[in-house]
Amino acid sequence: MPALRIRLEHISKTFLHRVKGRVRAVDDVVLDVFPGELLTLLGPSGCGKTTTLRMVAGFEKPSQGRIYFGGDDVTDLMVNQRSLGFVFQNYALFPHLSIFENVSYGLRVKKLPGPEISRAVGEVLRLVGLEGYEQQFPNQLSGGEQQRVALARAIVIRPQVLLFDEPLSNLDAKLRVHTRGEIRRLQKNLAITSIYVTHDQEEAMAISDRIAVMNQGRIIQIGTAEELYFRPRTEFVAKFIGKINTLPGRVAETAADGFTLAVLGHPYRLAGPAPSTPAGAELKIYVRPEMVQLTSHLSSAHAQARIVERTFLGEKVEYGLEAGGCSLWATAQTSAQQETFAVQQNVGVRLSAEHLLLLEEESNQ
Amino acid sequence: MGGNAATALLSEKPAGKLRDPALFLSVVVIWVFLAVFILFPLVKLLILTFEKDGQPSLAALVDILGRRSHYAAFWNSLLLAGLVGAAGTVLGFFFAFTAVRANLSKRWTTFLDLAIILPLISPPFTTAIAMIFSFGPRGLITYELLGLRGFNVYGLHTTLFAETITYFPIAYLTLKAILAGIDPNVEDMAFSLGASRCRVFRSVTLPLTVPGLANSFLLLFAASLADFATPLILAGNSFPVLPTDAYLQITGLFDLKGGAVLSFVLLVPAFVVFVLQRFWVSRKSYVTITGKSGAQTEIKSVSPVMSRLLLAICILLSLLIVYFYVLLFYASIVMALGANHNLTLKHYRVVFTEGLKAIQDTLLIAGIGMLLGGLYGVVVGYLVGKKQFVSRAAMEVASMVNYSLPGTIVGIAYLIAFNSPPLVITGTAAIIIAAYVFRYGATGIRTTVAILQQIDPGIEEASHSLGAGTVATFRRITIPLILPGLFAGLGVVFIRSMTAISATIFLVSIHWTLITVRILEKMTELELGVAAAFSVLVVAIVLAGTSGIGLTLRRFRQPGAPSMSSILGG
Repeated sequence: MPALRIRLEHISKTFLHRVKGRVRAVDDVVLDVFPGELLTLLGPSGCGKTTTLRMVAGFEKPSQGRIYFGGDDVTDLMVNQRSLGFVFQNYALFPHLSIFENVSYGLRVKKLPGPEISRAVGEVLRLVGLEGYEQQFPNQLSGGEQQRVALARAIVIRPQVLLFDEPLSNLDAKLRVHTRGEIRRLQKNLAITSIYVTHDQEEAMAISDRIAVMNQGRIIQIGTAEELYFRPRTEFVAKFIGKINTLPGRVAETAADGFTLAVLGHPYRLAGPAPSTPAGAELKIYVRPEMVQLTSHLSSAHAQARIVERTFLGEKVEYGLEAGGCSLWATAQTSAQQETFAVQQNVGVRLSAEHLLLLEEESNQ
Repeated sequence: MGGNAATALLSEKPAGKLRDPALFLSVVVIWVFLAVFILFPLVKLLILTFEKDGQPSLAALVDILGRRSHYAAFWNSLLLAGLVGAAGTVLGFFFAFTAVRANLSKRWTTFLDLAIILPLISPPFTTAIAMIFSFGPRGLITYELLGLRGFNVYGLHTTLFAETITYFPIAYLTLKAILAGIDPNVEDMAFSLGASRCRVFRSVTLPLTVPGLANSFLLLFAASLADFATPLILAGNSFPVLPTDAYLQITGLFDLKGGAVLSFVLLVPAFVVFVLQRFWVSRKSYVTITGKSGAQTEIKSVSPVMSRLLLAICILLSLLIVYFYVLLFYASIVMALGANHNLTLKHYRVVFTEGLKAIQDTLLIAGIGMLLGGLYGVVVGYLVGKKQFVSRAAMEVASMVNYSLPGTIVGIAYLIAFNSPPLVITGTAAIIIAAYVFRYGATGIRTTVAILQQIDPGIEEASHSLGAGTVATFRRITIPLILPGLFAGLGVVFIRSMTAISATIFLVSIHWTLITVRILEKMTELELGVAAAFSVLVVAIVLAGTSGIGLTLRRFRQPGAPSMSSILGG
């Protein structure tokens, strides 16, 4: 069965909140999940990612918009008619059923013959590494094992769509890293179109083909991890994925093929059209800490800063800097060739034009 | 030796010294009370049952059970209790399922809750009285509406109906908590695996409720087994049951020993239920209260059509209950229901003249009993729930005995125990108060224990770490936290003091009497209007008391603080 594509067309969901009144939990979300792809909805809690996922599953009905699985409009279909596997944050195993009965539940609903059910359950339990656990009960299993049962139960029915609602957040850090690798491998092998919800940016980057960053019910930006990291569209995305410095700057000069930015008193020439702000007005310039290069060689060719903080993190060192009344961060890899700096030391700060980002202002409603 | 034993009784470590004199003293005092007011009466009851001329003997037991009518009463009691357990559980589940799963609006939920709460706070025979008014020889429904002549209102069918209506709210409250506690994700999961609504109900919802159903069945079984008032009025001669048999044996034939034996026979199934509930059902619960339950979900387990159907049936049944109470009120303000419907206040005149003593006595007894019972509940609950001492588990079980036993047994045991030295309190208010305190104070114990279980032991340590001493911690942290337990105990002792009869019917005297007993007397004297007026008065007082305590309880927001209705659920 070829993988299918999921399309969300202008999906909105409004709730009646006890305190806030009518709340738009999901606001005009347009999303296209490609066949076989794993797409992650990433955002802070309350951003609408889980609600979006639950609407795809059919647990909630959208207030507006349509949802398509392949060419079929499934918006009005009950969840039990959608052919999907769902993995809950708290696993939602049936506490009164054994592991075998849990995993075989969906197959028995489909009225498959007994031997076929046994074979399929045995196979999927082998796949998740839980052979021999058939007769155990959920409360006898560890969190990680329960998680794998939940996964096995979701994939054994060979769903056309797999949905994950923060499936790793109840596991400890080490197990989380291990299990996300397993989920990723399994999803690639089965090639089932999947949507994955998390608030953990590292997890999102590790597991996804593409990430959709959500905030306040809207999708802010969709792209691969690299795109989001290196070319964030808004300040929110830039700050949610990784660390970023905000520096004051202004447009010093515009030309036909580009413009010049003044940052920390030094000019940087960028290509493309200049921002529409009036010439000379202050702008926010963004730069990743690892793109900030430090040197002990002080010259007028670059800006000067003073080290105010130094944190050694093993493979890298983080420096807190003060330059001309503003503070910024720089990270440097620890290596034999790298210079190291001490607190209170004056250093030169080298920025390169291609790493300077101008981002859209957040439209805060 | 005695000193050593006492030390061992309290020490936290096996060979510890007497570390905590206050704890020691409280444990000893509580044990004295438990021994005198719970264990001693039961032992006396057993002695009277199994003794003849100073020798152990089964003669009395054999004699009583050998009589056909008593033998029949035993089986009738079990049959009635079984049927009430089943019917009430089904009805309770039906209501609970509707309340939790049918997406009711707030207004409907409130209406159902109110209708369901009425039987819980009424004197035990209000339903029975209303049944007589409706279906009796001159009944509003059978005689006037349907024109039936000779419809027999007495027997198993009406007793079963009245007891089911009276006790199903207990099942409702038990099952509502269970259903509401099921993780919605589990049902969602079953849906996502392709199951239909019917299948989800059958394979997930119902199995997860089974422990609750069993528990509810046992609760109702015990309640029916203990119910003495409803069968007394409705069962008639053709369907004798044990509690009424025991009552008639004592009050009619003045046969204390016969009553003791009969109540012992009643004790056996009651004890089985107690053991089953405590050691079997409590272990099988699937519902775990975790901090992180499933997301708020649009409930899909019931289709809109089904939801409306469920609601309609529940409303009809609730209206029936409301009708009973309206009828009760109506009967209290007309000359004679069924014969003369002219409005009158004469029944209330009787209530407030001839019945005034009963009202004053009841209020006084309820007032004192409530204070002592509340205190008793919190103290025992605190000891059992928080402190470590050797006889802790035994104390917990002992403190629950009178609560778990049918009231008839407790009443007869008290009558036997306190009629002769060393402690003669028969005929005083003290014996009635003691009966209430040690029977219904148990609610306060359970609530306090439940609250303490949900409080992180770390918070007392946190208080210590902030520089508060033991006394300050107890005063500022522990007492405020267990206050809901105190109010729960107060509330239940008050309500039951106003409404109970099964134990205290044996303990009233010409000096001290109770409203419930007067209602029963008026019923047997066929002064139904006065009986109705008394009942209305009790319902009104209890409603006022319940709302007062309910409002107080609602001010507490800590984990484990119960709502008034959940306390009433038995």
